[in-house]
Amino acid sequence: MSAVQLSKRDRMLLHCAPIRDEQVDDRALRSAVHHARKTEAYALQQNFDKAATELVQAIPIPKEIIEWVPTETFIAPPRATWKKYAQNPVFLATGIAAIVIAVILIFQLIDRLNRFPGEPTARRLLTTASSNKSMMLDPVKANSGALGDFFFMKHRLVHYDVPPEFADLNTLGCRVFEDEEGQRVAQVWVVEKKMQFFLFPAERDPKTGKAKEFSGWRHIEQEHWAGVVKEDGGVCFMAALRGTDKDLASYVSKPKS
Amino acid sequence: MLFVVEGYLPSCEPPKARNICAGEIRVAEEKQDLLQLYRFCFLMLADTVKAQEIFHAILREAAQLAADGEAPRDRLWFFRNARWRCLEAGEQGLQAEEVDFGQDELAELAPSQIQKLEPEQFAIWIAAAPDPQRTALALFYLNEFSYRDLLSVTELKPPELSKLLGNGRREFQAWLDSTSPVSQV
Repeated sequence: MSAVQLSKRDRMLLHCAPIRDEQVDDRALRSAVHHARKTEAYALQQNFDKAATELVQAIPIPKEIIEWVPTETFIAPPRATWKKYAQNPVFLATGIAAIVIAVILIFQLIDRLNRFPGEPTARRLLTTASSNKSMMLDPVKANSGALGDFFFMKHRLVHYDVPPEFADLNTLGCRVFEDEEGQRVAQVWVVEKKMQFFLFPAERDPKTGKAKEFSGWRHIEQEHWAGVVKEDGGVCFMAALRGTDKDLASYVSKPKS
Repeated sequence: MLFVVEGYLPSCEPPKARNICAGEIRVAEEKQDLLQLYRFCFLMLADTVKAQEIFHAILREAAQLAADGEAPRDRLWFFRNARWRCLEAGEQGLQAEEVDFGQDELAELAPSQIQKLEPEQFAIWIAAAPDPQRTALALFYLNEFSYRDLLSVTELKPPELSKLLGNGRREFQAWLDSTSPVSQV
């Protein structure tokens, strides 16, 4: 027998060690039994317990008891627990499918909540922004807030005003062009962060012809380009730059009057 | 590839056959538990007549509950019930005289000493122990319960159960040494 030093906890647990290994249903006790397996004290205890157990099993069972033992069970069948259900392949497959559907629905809901009228046009213009060079624009060096008058006077574009949040930025150039749908779009290139502004007509209700309004700034991201869009007076304004939403957040976080 | 759902055997054996088999095994196990229940009552009381009375009373109660659709949830119910009935019955009859044999370390020859005993002598020794030590020893030496089951039925914490069983062994060894000394083995 080897001299194994057992911890106080192991010694405490070993007093409760059942004789049969399969009755050891506790991790700490199992560990204590494992540590003590080769000790003399544990061997003595096991031999002692085995002898006492054999003595108990030798207790004669009276005939009256054997006759009284019922042939059917009195114990209620075990209830199916949630663990049992979880291990059932049918419930497991159904659960996984339900989770996948729920995730898809959540994504669709988030996507729908982020949508706004004019979003397809904004996305198209974001592609335009990524493929344009400043040389394509007419050089205009001015304050971007002053461009509203310029667009009205030169191109007869009403309400094509740069919002106050971006009105202080200096411009490099601008142009007016017609997009695939024949809408007149104003494009402005500013010095700061090589940012581009787009002003385009808001989406209209096909029945009433009225512009679909929305409040506040809406964010879009596409192929490493980010944009913030706002509607005012039937015209949408979009500021776009190469980067992420965070690069534009500082401009739109504090509304200016 | 053959998939086997738990609770069902492969197609060679219909599910019903397995259910019947499982049911038979359960009844056989319960029968064994009931025999152990009697032994438990006997160890707690060291009295055949009282042990039988309590055994019958518990079976009647279980049958009544089953008939009312409230069958016991597990086998531990029988032993918990038996414990309290035995303690109640023990208080009514003659009380065992308290004799302190002290405690001895477990001896190598203890199994030989134990083999010389009659089961009734062991039952008398256990029945004389104060509760909860009496319940702990009776349940432990039935060799029927897991560690967690023992804690559940005795309603003891691990250190308490450990102390009662450890002391119980040494006290039993002291009793063995006084009634059948090693020199006589």
